[in-house]
Amino acid sequence: MKKDVLAICALFLVIMAGTAIAAKDTVVIGLQGPITGAWAYEGQMAKQSCEIAADLINKKGGILGGKKVVLKVVDDAGEPKSGALAAQKLVTQKDVVAVISTYGSSVCEPASNIYEKFKKVNIGYGVTAVRLTQRNFKYFFRTCGRDDSQGKFFAEYVPKKFNAKRIAIMHDNTAFGKGLAEDTKAALAAMVKAGKVSIVYYDAITPGEKDFKVPLTTLRETKPDVWYFTGYYAEAALLVTQARDIGITCPFVGGNAAINDEFVKIAGLKVATGCYMTNEPLPGDLPYPMAKEFLAAYKAKFGNIPSSPWPIYAADALNVIAYAVDKSGTTDSTKLAAFLRDQVNGVPGITGPIGFTKDGDREGVPFYLYKVDDSGKIVVTK
Amino acid sequence: MQVILEQLINGLTIGSFYALIALGYTMVYGVLKLINFAHGDFFTFGSYLGYTVLVFGAAFLTAHFGLWGVLSVALLAAAISIAIVGVIVERLAYRPVYKAGRLPAVVSALGASIFIQNAIMVIWGPRFQAYPSELIPNAHLEIYGINISLLQVIILVMSFLLMGVLYFIVQKTTFGAAVRATAHDRKTAALMGININKVIFFVFTLGPALGAITGVMVGMYYRQISFTMGWNYGLKAFTASVLGGIGNIPGAMVGGLILGVLEMLGAAYISAAWKDVFVFIILILVLIFRPTGLLGEKTAEKV
Repeated sequence: MKKDVLAICALFLVIMAGTAIAAKDTVVIGLQGPITGAWAYEGQMAKQSCEIAADLINKKGGILGGKKVVLKVVDDAGEPKSGALAAQKLVTQKDVVAVISTYGSSVCEPASNIYEKFKKVNIGYGVTAVRLTQRNFKYFFRTCGRDDSQGKFFAEYVPKKFNAKRIAIMHDNTAFGKGLAEDTKAALAAMVKAGKVSIVYYDAITPGEKDFKVPLTTLRETKPDVWYFTGYYAEAALLVTQARDIGITCPFVGGNAAINDEFVKIAGLKVATGCYMTNEPLPGDLPYPMAKEFLAAYKAKFGNIPSSPWPIYAADALNVIAYAVDKSGTTDSTKLAAFLRDQVNGVPGITGPIGFTKDGDREGVPFYLYKVDDSGKIVVTK
Repeated sequence: MQVILEQLINGLTIGSFYALIALGYTMVYGVLKLINFAHGDFFTFGSYLGYTVLVFGAAFLTAHFGLWGVLSVALLAAAISIAIVGVIVERLAYRPVYKAGRLPAVVSALGASIFIQNAIMVIWGPRFQAYPSELIPNAHLEIYGINISLLQVIILVMSFLLMGVLYFIVQKTTFGAAVRATAHDRKTAALMGININKVIFFVFTLGPALGAITGVMVGMYYRQISFTMGWNYGLKAFTASVLGGIGNIPGAMVGGLILGVLEMLGAAYISAAWKDVFVFIILILVLIFRPTGLLGEKTAEKV
């Protein structure tokens, strides 16, 4: 018995030593995302994007004198409680330099609280709720944009385009969905006051459910000219299918989480064609040389390019972390956070020049109006 | 007026899904005093099996059986397979722990639920799957000015038929009397010469089979299925069976339909965001004044 215990301890020490030696040649970057769960589609694209980004960096010689970038992926299943657990898992690993986390503002909130407490740099890639950067956190950044810009874009663009006087806004009560709905409402407030538009429907559906016929019938009775849904693609697909089934004919505009290839697949081509979306530029529409290089590598490995912008923001988060580690010469979290905040300005990225404001927001994210065309592709529209 | 009727049909459709799944919960609880947490996952498993039959067998089956034949095959295949799964789960996860008391049984049920859910995720992948559209011709019927789809009619008819058949079996046949007796008092029923194992077998084949059929119907109706959907439906169906009186089979049917209609009322006339709050407040009020549920028997407390 005693001999067995000694043998196991010795084996354990050897393995530890082995990994410690191996770890010296690598820089480990953590990735927290919804690999399973309701947003598995987005999570898996993000994982693949980060793998490609890491590959490209390693092919060019790595960082910090030839060290390879290694990705450590932890699944948060798209749930806030699993997000907290995933964050705990990553902060307890000493070799993880920084974390890319995550998709879904409601999942990011508890996770980023933990990262802040343990002083780990964390960069969100699919988290647009405004209040995430209003907490005076030192270690939280994001490479994606914010809901208030999207709300403003909607107010400036959509009512004019569809000649809409009656607007229905539907959200899903999540941190992101409700945030975007509130920001849109605030952006429309001036027009409402001037009597140009009215918000005839403002309510939330419950995510995770399938049957929305009842709230949709209520929406139909308010006779909107355009319908804005600020939730996620799983519910969006069901909503539009059921809406068309009960006779809602007004144009459907989704927020930037509502429409991707999965939406088109679930809703079916007939229903999805003609749906609109307010969105950051899609990967295929990015004009930068880094984008072209990245997309070519992604397509070569996985067959086609990501169908939503979030995986690209994840890749850019990885790129900016690698850049910060390389240029600052350190893996110390506090120094990295200060470097990212003060000295990252106009760093070339896949989504354009990367820079962070003093609150950790990404500077300068444009918005377009997208439309699903007859072949199911999502294209920019005027 | 028409809107109210349309909303009522919507409420009844959701309600009949809840009712059919609630039947599985209530039957098992009645006979074994065990809350079968894995039942929601039987429902999901049935839905995925139906999906597999429809997607991979479509060409072969349509050639031999025609459109309605394909649907029947999918429903039967799902029902029979999940009935078998139900019996297996009962033998493996529940029978060994009957003697150990109620807590180990509950833990075993939760474990079975997690196992099945993750097995589904591993087999079919974590992404959503979509049932093929155009299974039922996209016809709409106009009755008194309200617009109902053919699919909704078929689902309502099938649900009420299944509930009627089960009601008949349980209330009007001798075997049904045996089931009710076992639900009332298992030990005495055994002393009276009722074959308890047969009753348990009946409950664990019919309950999951109904769940599986509901799964296929839900797949056809909403078209999107995911491996976690059993959680949501299971929770609502369990609530429905408690509302109607757990252990009581007509209670489960009534509870499910009432839950669906209450959800509809809450969503349509209060607010879609607050509908669950409304439903659960009603549940709490019902339980305060009738702790055994709407149709539950007032069992005298033995002091």
